[in-house]
Amino acid sequence: MEKNKGKRKKYVAHNQKCAYLFLLPSMFILSVFVFVPLIASFVISITNMNIFMKDVSFAGLKNFIQLFKDSRVSNATFNSLYFTLLEVPLQIGLALLMTVCLAKNNRYCKLLRSIYYLPFVCSMTAIGIVWSMLLDPNMGLFAYWLKQAGFDTIAFLKDPKWAMPTVIAVTAWKGFGYTLTLMAAAVLNIPQSLYEAADMDGAGGFQKFIHITIPGIWSTISFCIVTSTIGAMQMFDQAYVMTQGGPLNKTETVVQYIYDRGFQTAPYNLGYASAISVYLFVIVAVMTLVLRKFVLNRGEGADE
Amino acid sequence: MSKRKIRLSTVAGYVFTLLAAVTVLIPILWLLVSSFKTDAGVIKFPPEFFPEEWTLYQYLYVGDSIPIFKMTKNTVVFAGGVTVLSLLFDSMAGYAFARMRFRGSKLLFSIILLTMMVPFQIIMTPLYIEVYKFHLLDTYLGLILPRATSAFGIYMMSSFFSGLPKSLEESGRIDGMSEFRIFRSIMLPLCKPALVSLGIFHFMNNWNDLLYPLMLTSSQNKRTLSAGLAVLVGNKVIKYGPTLAATMISLAPLLILYIFCQKYFTEGVATSGIKE
Repeated sequence: MEKNKGKRKKYVAHNQKCAYLFLLPSMFILSVFVFVPLIASFVISITNMNIFMKDVSFAGLKNFIQLFKDSRVSNATFNSLYFTLLEVPLQIGLALLMTVCLAKNNRYCKLLRSIYYLPFVCSMTAIGIVWSMLLDPNMGLFAYWLKQAGFDTIAFLKDPKWAMPTVIAVTAWKGFGYTLTLMAAAVLNIPQSLYEAADMDGAGGFQKFIHITIPGIWSTISFCIVTSTIGAMQMFDQAYVMTQGGPLNKTETVVQYIYDRGFQTAPYNLGYASAISVYLFVIVAVMTLVLRKFVLNRGEGADE
Repeated sequence: MSKRKIRLSTVAGYVFTLLAAVTVLIPILWLLVSSFKTDAGVIKFPPEFFPEEWTLYQYLYVGDSIPIFKMTKNTVVFAGGVTVLSLLFDSMAGYAFARMRFRGSKLLFSIILLTMMVPFQIIMTPLYIEVYKFHLLDTYLGLILPRATSAFGIYMMSSFFSGLPKSLEESGRIDGMSEFRIFRSIMLPLCKPALVSLGIFHFMNNWNDLLYPLMLTSSQNKRTLSAGLAVLVGNKVIKYGPTLAATMISLAPLLILYIFCQKYFTEGVATSGIKE
């Protein structure tokens, strides 16, 4: 009996060692490249440090005070919020509308869903290049077609007023197929019997949508809202490729400004770039908490 | 009356969805056919959708204006390297969390899940400094290593492993196999579909990524397709024709992969969305 217990203990210890060995590579990489940088980010934000990393000194809250006086920070924050508040509802609304039409498993719906997913597979760089060319006011095909159709010529990406809406539209164009895929999968998971019961009660299509479909896929919708809001607040690629933040900084987002100050424009102020990162992190964290509280709670209420 | 209403809405649905499909396809098709235009055809006014004269010129000479071969090689090495390594490490860690009991397992797993919430911009500056201090800036290793595992991958693999029956590894243990042999020859072959989905997820994300490779490479020699093209086109030093050909080349591998393995592209996505 005693002997057996010893053996068992040895086995468990061996098993534990094995588990740690299995975890070792991942833990090592995550520690070095995620945990350490995460903490370091807060530390760097209170230092004076540039990319050459000489003369590093303690700065206290200097970077943060500078940040709140910097008009490019407030401009970038406005742009990021503007982008997020329009792009997320547009993409999700469009996907939801499509879900109503396409949440079936026949050939037509499957084909259209896979077509809509195509832009999501493509890089933002490629998409940005293509749309910039198509929308070029002088020689772009789309700009030309719109003019032929009798619309006023719009400079799209070169017009301070239109640049951000254009970036928003292109982003929604690229992403709605992805959201649709998630939602359609969720709708197809709703038990058919619920719809049959509603049919027997004489419910119309719209009523079924409001009372069965929406509550049935609410967890997916809220997942989409939360993740795309977080993603949109970190928008970088679109503006970098299509507008470089212009015209007149009208499309410069917070992440782009971080990249610009830290890595693109002398004196490559890493301390200041980190401070803006921390600032954005706080904004995104607060937004996530608020969304989780309201969006997810409402979902639970709707389930009942 | 009600029947006619339904029919009307069905028709509206078809019109709407078809219109959207056309809007999605036109820019991609335009890129494809325009990459076969001549230099004059590309900048022709008024612009035309199809080329007047089809030519392979842009593809034959794209290498003269854009280091397209080097960029493609860099992207293949980067995205491929990340995919292979993270499939290995993610599945190992996921296996440990799903099938092995050890002290601190729960705490460690929740910490890993929390890192999924950490946005890239908060770690990007220190990450740059680290890679610089390790003398890995502008190297393949420096690009691949920080991405060689991911919280999402560990989570996905661990939930897949949890669903497999326990008797499998017991039989391996009775046969006296080592834990690694059990993992390698019994468990891993069973999760091929999950591995393919996760692999495609990693490959696509890294192939398309912009900010990360942009930051960790400084020379044109190590730029990936998406980072290199973004910089070159942004500086407006490249003519339209070669740009179109290069953009098409950068898209082709993923588009072909998507056409043949569509199921794995969307399935991985669908499972990731339902988790919450």
